[in-house]
Amino acid sequence: MSERRISVAAEAAQLPALTRFLQEFCAAAALPAADALAFELALEEVFMNVVMHGAPQGRAPRVEVSLALGADGLALTVEDDGPAFDPLSLPPPDVAAGLEQRPVGGLGVHLVRRLMDAVHYHRAGDRNRLRLVKQSAR
Amino acid sequence: MPRARRGRRAQVNVRLETLGTSTLVVAAGRLDFAAAADFQAQLEALLAGAAAAPGAVIVDCAALDYVSSAGLRVFLLGARAAQRAGRSFAVCALTPAVADVFALSGFGKVIAVHADRAAALAHAAPRPA
Repeated sequence: MSERRISVAAEAAQLPALTRFLQEFCAAAALPAADALAFELALEEVFMNVVMHGAPQGRAPRVEVSLALGADGLALTVEDDGPAFDPLSLPPPDVAAGLEQRPVGGLGVHLVRRLMDAVHYHRAGDRNRLRLVKQSAR
Repeated sequence: MPRARRGRRAQVNVRLETLGTSTLVVAAGRLDFAAAADFQAQLEALLAGAAAAPGAVIVDCAALDYVSSAGLRVFLLGARAAQRAGRSFAVCALTPAVADVFALSGFGKVIAVHADRAAALAHAAPRPA
């Protein structure tokens, strides 16, 4: 088992199913717990971004998530058929701001960038494709 | 296929303890998007109202094994609400994964983080008269 795939609607209620899918893959691949948690967080942040920003016409996009274990580590690819949106284009949050000035949003993408080794966005036809890779600490 | 270790813990369980004038919020589980709204409501209820105790609010995270940005947001809102209520707000006993997320977010600069419950309580104790 080196590659698996799941397809869900971009709805918040689908998050537990996605998390379960990822956890089962990581357990079967015997990924270290810290790496598995990093991917859980990355998947939640990327998926919820699509849920929050991907449905301006009221139609929830389809989201396809795939996991592939390769020589460069675990690769998580998240594709959706929502409007073109590159989450990596968002300005970085001010992580030094004081308590009252600190923005409550924008941290998700920042965490994903920091927890993964590589993050790439690509618009392929009518789909957004975000590919995240992290070398296992094993 | 082996069952994932945390697969069945899909929410945060919260228990409140009072120690002296401090209120301990003992949080356990996964603080993800699905759990954030409920956790926020519980923190707000704790901090709301003049009848609430005036002491420190300490969130004990020893059994909290996951926090996403949705969870961080609740900590931030909780810290602000506490500040407005004139109460100190701190977290303690972060698990390694949660400590990582706090560090990467720079949250340690705006929310007091203590190694364990004893350290948090010692910090919260009123100065001797």
